[in-house]
Amino acid sequence: MAIVSLQNIRKVYDTKVAVEGLTLSIEPGTMFGLLGPNGSGKTSSIRMMIGMTVPDSGTVSLFGQPFSRSLLHRIGYLPEERGLYKKMKVIDQLIFLGQLHGLTETVARQRALSWCERLQITEAIDKKTEELSKGMQQKIQFIAALLHEPELIIMDEPMSGLDPVNGALLMETLVDLRRNGKAVLFSTHRMDQVERMCDAIALISRGKLLLSGSMREVKSRYPRNRVHIAYTGDDSFLRNPAVVEAKLHAGGAELQLTDEAAAQSLLAEAIARGTQITRFEVVEPTIEDIFIEQVRASFGEAAAEGVTVDG
Amino acid sequence: MANPHNIWLIAKREYTERIRTKAFIISTVLIPALMGGGIFGVAAIASKSKTTAHIAIVSAQPQPAQDLKHELEHGDDTSMTVDLVPPGDTTPLDQAIANKQLDGYLVITQSPVADGASHRPNFDFKPRSSADIATSDSIQSALHTVLMREYLAAHNVPADEAKALMDPVTVNVIGANGKHTNSKQSFFVAYTLFFLMYMVVLLYGMNVARSIIEEKTSRVFEVLLASIQPDELLAGKILGVGSVGLTQVGIWMAAALLFAAQAGAMSGITISATQIIFFIIYFALGYALYSSVAAALGAMTNSEQELQQLNMFLMMPLFLSMGMLPVLITSPNSLLARIVSQIPFCAPLLMNFRISIAMPQPWEIALSIGLILVTIYAVLWISSRIYRVGILMYGKKPNLPEIMRWLKYS
Repeated sequence: MAIVSLQNIRKVYDTKVAVEGLTLSIEPGTMFGLLGPNGSGKTSSIRMMIGMTVPDSGTVSLFGQPFSRSLLHRIGYLPEERGLYKKMKVIDQLIFLGQLHGLTETVARQRALSWCERLQITEAIDKKTEELSKGMQQKIQFIAALLHEPELIIMDEPMSGLDPVNGALLMETLVDLRRNGKAVLFSTHRMDQVERMCDAIALISRGKLLLSGSMREVKSRYPRNRVHIAYTGDDSFLRNPAVVEAKLHAGGAELQLTDEAAAQSLLAEAIARGTQITRFEVVEPTIEDIFIEQVRASFGEAAAEGVTVDG
Repeated sequence: MANPHNIWLIAKREYTERIRTKAFIISTVLIPALMGGGIFGVAAIASKSKTTAHIAIVSAQPQPAQDLKHELEHGDDTSMTVDLVPPGDTTPLDQAIANKQLDGYLVITQSPVADGASHRPNFDFKPRSSADIATSDSIQSALHTVLMREYLAAHNVPADEAKALMDPVTVNVIGANGKHTNSKQSFFVAYTLFFLMYMVVLLYGMNVARSIIEEKTSRVFEVLLASIQPDELLAGKILGVGSVGLTQVGIWMAAALLFAAQAGAMSGITISATQIIFFIIYFALGYALYSSVAAALGAMTNSEQELQQLNMFLMMPLFLSMGMLPVLITSPNSLLARIVSQIPFCAPLLMNFRISIAMPQPWEIALSIGLILVTIYAVLWISSRIYRVGILMYGKKPNLPEIMRWLKYS
């Protein structure tokens, strides 16, 4: 049973197609990364998952049932742009949001306090939101999404605006929640996090799904045709026809080859030309590589120049 | 479909957060203080402001100069300083005026044939400033009193009869309940209630719009909509903000009643229970109507500035109501008055005003309440649709065709 299942979703705003024929499913207990460039339809898709907007066609199912508002209490949602009442005290705010999710005041207060402790923001409890730093507000918002112990956690860009320490703290929390059997879906542009943490990903661009599946599946579809090389001396071996693309940096390069087998001959050629090789590693493409490749393909090579990799 | 518990939670939050703000406490205390202070201040100033000019009277005879001096120095509205000067060269007086020691002088010239009242002396007043109407008016009315008294004395009318003759006439206005009423006071009460409702409906209607914009700019509703429905949010908001308004009006009413109990007998101002009950009914209806419109306006706009541009939709019917006041005052039961007080957007103000000054037919009251209720339902239907779509729209302002399309979304 999929926790979230989107079947052939389509959503059009006026003349702009936000999401087109999106099919996607999220299995229980997975950490799911939703990737895509700006304006690709990530937020639109997420809004349809929680019934904030209704798809023009296609179906949304949650927890194996067709979408219904009564299922929303099992979902924790963190919106892309943080939304808190500026003048309200943090604790009142958390209790209020917890109550809207069906908690009693006592339970909401108790959980809010223990979460604040866990995320190291106890000093913020009695302050008004407007007095807090952006990072702290984000943590409050994060807590608000988790107070009612949802089975599915949906976070739109949870890491934006957080420093590395706090980002890591929240990520750890998400990993813990996943370990406890919750499903976590988040959109992000931090490819390294996706690489390390996600069990499954979906990549969408211009409202269409480019690829989806478990991390292993996705990666296995791509050849191990990347080479990280560190060298000194002659670099004429880089002109080998097997090198599709070379990113040079101080003392080394990251290469993309035509195929996996070309790596050995490239190494042989470099040694033959007398280049000092200090490191030669054949690696699988990173999610970032796949992301860029896919997005460029979807936009067409001409338009690809303008594509930025920021989620 | 809507969950009453969610509506209650939203309303409770709006209420408790608003009632704690400094703005609420300040306006609750300050508005009646300013209004009351203003009214009593004007009344106090009007009653205490006696003319205090310093003038001179140039006259050959002691009478009526002596009496006039007495009247001007100790009259009902005057406490002037008056010098009596024998006739002669007026240059020193002109000099005194130029030096601002004197506000003017009055020259009394007896006419040669003195045959009683039909032949009065000449009175020439030379003021320092020809715009000083208050002083010349005081002199004129004092002269009238003095000459009348002199004439009556000359014809052997006893002093007490003369006094009775010169007392102002009072007309007792009998109200519908057979008691003496004071039309000025009932007018004053109706007027105060009118402006109170005008102010509170506008203020709290705008508060609903502002509260929606606040949630929109802070994106709070994205969090809220993940657990509750837009209709619940809208209903909770209108109820919560409205309760704050009712609380405020309630505090003012209680204070006014307390004040009336203490000083009511003295001021003679009375507010009847009927007036209070109808005020609250029409306030609740008027507020619900205007706040529903304001909710749609708030959902359509992205900032307070944009809201200001759409304010006229709220203000226009209120201005129309205010413009209709003279008609209602002069003929509260005329056809025009009856028609305008049935217009749902004006009825809360105008029907309530009519109830205060001249009780309309019961069917008129029932019809107006019915019409307002129908309109509230229609406006809420439209507003909730605009709200549902509008709160998720950022950036550009929607145009009319887009808003019409929103209405079709279910």
